[in-house]
Amino acid sequence: MDTLNNLALGFSVALSPEVFLFAVIGCVIGTLVGMLPGVGPLAGISLLLPATFGLSPTTAIVLLAGIYYGAMYGGSTTSILMRIPGEAASVMTCIDGYAMTQQGRAGPALAIAAIGSFIGGTVSIVALMLLAPPLASLALRFGPPEYFALLTLGLLMLAFLSGGTMAKTLAMAAFGLFLGTIGIDLMSGFLRFQYGIVALGDGIGLVPVAVGLFGVSEILMTMGQGSAPAVQKPRLRELIPTRLDIRQSVGPIGRGTVLGFLIGIVPGSAHIISSFLSYALERRLARQPERFGHGAIEGVAGPETANNAAACGAFVPMLALGVPSGPIPAVMLAALMVHGVAPGPLLMEQQPALFWGFVASMYVGNAVLLLLNLPLVGLFVSLLRIPYAYLYPAILVFCILGVYAVSESVVDVWIMIAMGGLGYVLRKLDFEVAPVVLGLVLSPMIETALRQSLAMSSGSYLILVNRPIAAAMLVLAATLLIVCLLPRGSWRRMLGIEG
Amino acid sequence: MTRSVALPALAVAFGLCLPQPLLAQDIYPSRPITMIVPFPPGGVADQTARPVAATMERLLKQPVVVSNRQGAGGAVGMAATANAKPDGYTIMTALSSISVIPEADKLFNRTPAYQMAQFAPIALVTADPTILVVPADSPWKTLAEFVADAKKRPGEISYSSSGLYGTLHLAMEMFAHAAGIKLKHVPFNGAGPALTALLGNHVQALASGPGVVIPQIQAGKLRPLANWGAKRIAAMPDVATFKELGYPSVEFTIWAGVFAPAGTPEPVLTVLRETMGRVVADGEFKSAMEKLQTPIAYLDAPEFRKFWDQDAQAMVKAVQAIGRVE
Repeated sequence: MDTLNNLALGFSVALSPEVFLFAVIGCVIGTLVGMLPGVGPLAGISLLLPATFGLSPTTAIVLLAGIYYGAMYGGSTTSILMRIPGEAASVMTCIDGYAMTQQGRAGPALAIAAIGSFIGGTVSIVALMLLAPPLASLALRFGPPEYFALLTLGLLMLAFLSGGTMAKTLAMAAFGLFLGTIGIDLMSGFLRFQYGIVALGDGIGLVPVAVGLFGVSEILMTMGQGSAPAVQKPRLRELIPTRLDIRQSVGPIGRGTVLGFLIGIVPGSAHIISSFLSYALERRLARQPERFGHGAIEGVAGPETANNAAACGAFVPMLALGVPSGPIPAVMLAALMVHGVAPGPLLMEQQPALFWGFVASMYVGNAVLLLLNLPLVGLFVSLLRIPYAYLYPAILVFCILGVYAVSESVVDVWIMIAMGGLGYVLRKLDFEVAPVVLGLVLSPMIETALRQSLAMSSGSYLILVNRPIAAAMLVLAATLLIVCLLPRGSWRRMLGIEG
Repeated sequence: MTRSVALPALAVAFGLCLPQPLLAQDIYPSRPITMIVPFPPGGVADQTARPVAATMERLLKQPVVVSNRQGAGGAVGMAATANAKPDGYTIMTALSSISVIPEADKLFNRTPAYQMAQFAPIALVTADPTILVVPADSPWKTLAEFVADAKKRPGEISYSSSGLYGTLHLAMEMFAHAAGIKLKHVPFNGAGPALTALLGNHVQALASGPGVVIPQIQAGKLRPLANWGAKRIAAMPDVATFKELGYPSVEFTIWAGVFAPAGTPEPVLTVLRETMGRVVADGEFKSAMEKLQTPIAYLDAPEFRKFWDQDAQAMVKAVQAIGRVE
């Protein structure tokens, strides 16, 4: 009952004209930020942070949160239509979402992405509302050893991601892991593989790599076809998901919600892997895994749901404990501090209107985003009517602008262009590029977590198996590896005997 | 744009262009000033720089634009300021780590990104003491108990920090060095994750700013043991300073100050110094800093330079005591 009373208080705050207006503004900005290649939610929130200083704390946090989950909605749009990940969490959506677009099914893909995002977001808020304090104390038990085990599990999922030969997939992952080691070593301060280029000191950014490997390489691939692909003119009926689409999406959306939320609450910045894990899971569970990569709607529904659920889960440690679970909640915590609200375990008691207003505004925001995105599906799809001769140069310009805008670094633009060329060659040779992105994301996290664990245990590897959560996850990872190697002749594919 | 709007707009734009070069020579500032913050938005430096810039803008009647140039622990933005044209149109808000980076570079035989002599200090704005905290359920009730236990089992009590050679790391090592104890260091990427690790009992101690630890202390999750500041702070009157507890050399603050590139003309520096003096006395600025729970600790350029020199010496000593981490 308490919860209901509190929620009523929350809705009275969230539906007050000022807060509601800013929730909608946040959602719209977030959608745009998500769509622009390069400019992700972190950049969007950071840029707008100063503009919130004049607002009340509740309004400010509602606006910033709207940008965050709005970007999760918007990120899918360019992934599906143009194979350009608007932000990192929608990399996996590129694969099957774009394949659907090529089959003239962009409409259902966009609609399912929006619906999945809505369900993932809304269900997660219910979980956040009811379970935040116990979940937060569970999340705290994730120290470096547990984090390492979780990431190892994520990395092993690569084996499931592979559409082609496992050797090629693992080679790509290793390349990604290597890219991730470039830059300053956080544990010792040494610069690695930097070759005197100052801009490489911070490592290779995810954004230029993802935009280059997916977006720019796609433009090159199309150019290589000689004749321009026919411009699509989808009819209205084709915009709506079929009954089969919906039936196929129910399971992925449900699983994506749970998976995304659980990964979201873990402190660290592993949120991006929620979409990778969801994709791998759906592919593994599918009756016809060979459909993946060729326009399987499950490959859109699962990851898109998971990234929204994770975005929401990330608020659990932030609101319940006042600790950031990733860079984006960290900026939002800073915003609260600027407004004189001390984030901490007592936030819920001391600032009930803020906490419950925030929770309620997330319900409102998700509903707004669904209403905003569904009608826009038709508009977005009609972008495909633009002849490629005009569309592609424009996309390229947006890619360059977006990548440059994130860090104001020309080096990033060069990295993007080089990755575009590399992606073109790799795809011609039938390599998948998603494992490169996953390797790049995981590499610094997995290394730091392992070395922090070893620092904690003074060098003993036993710390990884002495702790129950870590041990359980490592056992699961080992089991998965065995399961993955045994059936379906995967070991044969690995040795290259097949075909 | 319709023609009726376009034409006057063009005329105005043209008109604005003309007298600009004529005015520029005499009075500083005659065009927008860029304030570089070498850290991401939302960090301590950014939180201080934004109200400073907003107040300067009001007083100088010229836009003061905050530009976050993050990277390499701040070295990217600091080097950008060091190498900027010294004309007063590029200034910077930086933290105490400005003294550490060249020393760490030396440790690794790297060409330093910048030299300290490349900056002209303008004003110290804030100085926050660090607080030593342990989980509320840990066995140590006082600093003496903590030190005694650490002496019994060297290298076993662990602490988290915001990063290698970061402020939280240096503060802890400075204390450990003075107390003759050896602690186990587990670096994290930022003060937030370092706090998370302590709350999850993955490490046993942490040095961090009052704004971060006070809410956790109030919630009964953490216990403060000592304060690195020169004197006790109002929010925690019971927490003694290291000096009071018998460690006279242990003093550490995370400070934020405004700098210009060295070689900035003296008249321009005078304008900036006077402006900063008015900024810290400004009502709106004061209330902005109060919200952040960050005490204003204003020092004008000459005193700031003295403070900075002393602080830098202590930092360099701490870095050298840590040495190269293999």
